[in-house]
Amino acid sequence: MTVASRPVDLLRQAWRIGQMALTALWAYKLRSFFVVLGVALGIASLTVIVAAVDGAERKAMEIVKWFGPDAAFVLGGDIQSRAVGKRTLTLSYKDAQKLRESLPGAYLVVPMRGKGNVTVRYRGKSRQVPVIVGATAGYAEVWNWPLAEGRDFTEEDVQKGAKVGLIGDLVAEDLFASESPVGRTIFVDQVPVQIVGRLSYRGVTGGGGSSSVDDRIILPITTLTQRFNLNRKYFRALRVKFYAPENMEAHVANLRSLLRHLHNLQPGEPDDFSILTADEILKFLSMFKGGLMLFLGITALVAIIVGGFVLANLFYLSVTERRSEIGLKKSVGAPDWAILMQVLTESVFLSLAGALLGVILGLSLGQLMAQLGVLEILISWKVFIFSTLAATFMGLVFGLRPARTAAGMPPIEALKGEH
Amino acid sequence: MVDQRLAELEGITKTYKQADREIEVLKGISLSIDSGEFIALQGPSGSGKSTLMHILGLLDRPSKGRYLLRQQDVSALSDNALSAIRNRTVGFIFQTFYLIPYVSAVENVMLPGLYSRTAARELRHRAEQILDQVGLGDRMHFRPNQLSGGQQQRVAMARALVNDPRLLLADEPTGQLDSQTSGEIMRLITQIHEQGLTVVLVTHDDEIAGYARRRIRLSDGCISPS
Repeated sequence: MTVASRPVDLLRQAWRIGQMALTALWAYKLRSFFVVLGVALGIASLTVIVAAVDGAERKAMEIVKWFGPDAAFVLGGDIQSRAVGKRTLTLSYKDAQKLRESLPGAYLVVPMRGKGNVTVRYRGKSRQVPVIVGATAGYAEVWNWPLAEGRDFTEEDVQKGAKVGLIGDLVAEDLFASESPVGRTIFVDQVPVQIVGRLSYRGVTGGGGSSSVDDRIILPITTLTQRFNLNRKYFRALRVKFYAPENMEAHVANLRSLLRHLHNLQPGEPDDFSILTADEILKFLSMFKGGLMLFLGITALVAIIVGGFVLANLFYLSVTERRSEIGLKKSVGAPDWAILMQVLTESVFLSLAGALLGVILGLSLGQLMAQLGVLEILISWKVFIFSTLAATFMGLVFGLRPARTAAGMPPIEALKGEH
Repeated sequence: MVDQRLAELEGITKTYKQADREIEVLKGISLSIDSGEFIALQGPSGSGKSTLMHILGLLDRPSKGRYLLRQQDVSALSDNALSAIRNRTVGFIFQTFYLIPYVSAVENVMLPGLYSRTAARELRHRAEQILDQVGLGDRMHFRPNQLSGGQQQRVAMARALVNDPRLLLADEPTGQLDSQTSGEIMRLITQIHEQGLTVVLVTHDDEIAGYARRRIRLSDGCISPS
């Protein structure tokens, strides 16, 4: 008949061991504090990784949602073999025209090209805009990007190369504050442009870049190429919207074979364009997320192992210092498992305290990194669940050896250990 | 008394391995202890008296021989079973008290009860009662370092008694105390014995051994005829 042969005895014994553990931890405050700190650093890095991976996930979903499941984006040149700036211009207006006429399932084809870093001015206020986009009628619709006010371009605007433009929310905010920009004329470099529509706020940053999509001006593509002296035969990219997004695979296959035909590509020749769909982007983003997870995961693992060794060593020190206490408890009838449980309880309590501190530390660090634009983070219950599990694991795994050492001490030697 | 014979040892030996040779500390001890006895185990250091006390208190196992404690053969019991018996049957007092430094006197006294089935309230009540009995009713919430040596040994005695044991084992209980305090502690032990508790006192001091009713002398691992 041992002390804890019935469940109710076991429960009472667990409660008493818990109380003894807390008393001991409080008695050795400084050592407890260092254990908490060691664990906290490990958990903090785990917190950052969970928040960052969730953040990356949310980012990916946002980008994909923004891109739209019913759309394809065609880039001139082959992105797999050329860097962004070196993509060749291969998409022509003739291509756009032919796609509009004969691509099955497509209802909107909008060619686009961009020009970087242009100065816009309005009444003495001047501002650098990272990108001016040239597009045809239907820009807002093709990007699922409703206008907050005003109108989109008309076919006529595009044909005539009218000096009209759409303004991104951020630019409008800066130049016009609370005033309506519609009907006003701003200067884009030296070209006066009348604003006809204002795009609603979107709030997504581009794929990895730090500039906001709301920081842009849209002009008719003809106006852009004529007034800013760009190549008039080719454009950079093409956005296509389809009916029936469930048939995207077939749509993309049609688009590809039509473009290959228009470009006179022989079987075996590589494409001179690239087609992006939501699926492709998702694939790329999950690759990115995987890389992030690996990098941060290894960092967190190292931090947790270091924290665990701090814990293990301080507990070795503790059970060595408290040899006579352990010996005494055994002499008054504490069974080995009660000693084991007390040391384990102490280490789990401390690592849970470390988890709490670590989550606070990690979230602050994550916020800081998010503020500095280094990482996108998302705080969820996952953070708390993972940290609690990881801390319990640390306490049990790294506390086990010291606990077994304590439980295995022969009572007489442990008692004599003091002197 | 019903169980007149409290402990019975037959041919107990204990050998330790040190480096590559074996040291025989006890060389076949046979001894019986009746309930209500007050025994002094005497002998020079190295005679094996502490080892014998550890075996009596189930802190150590004999290498050979049979040990019956309250008619139960304890030689073959598991560590857990021994802990449980130790908890209910044996109380220890040591030369260096071994109080837990960071809890109060009454909490030190309660310690053995924490590993028993005694309910918390009852345990505290009993601990306070015993502390009162050993003359520390006004010092219950003092920490060990706020108590004198004699007072610390009284706390240790109260702790040894809290689970109402059958056997009190005292290992040089006055070794760290001056002669006046030693006398007080020994009178207290005598008092407890007179209330019916069996006491085994380990000492090398003849004067201290004088408090006991029966003396057993050990030398070189054997009981010497007296």
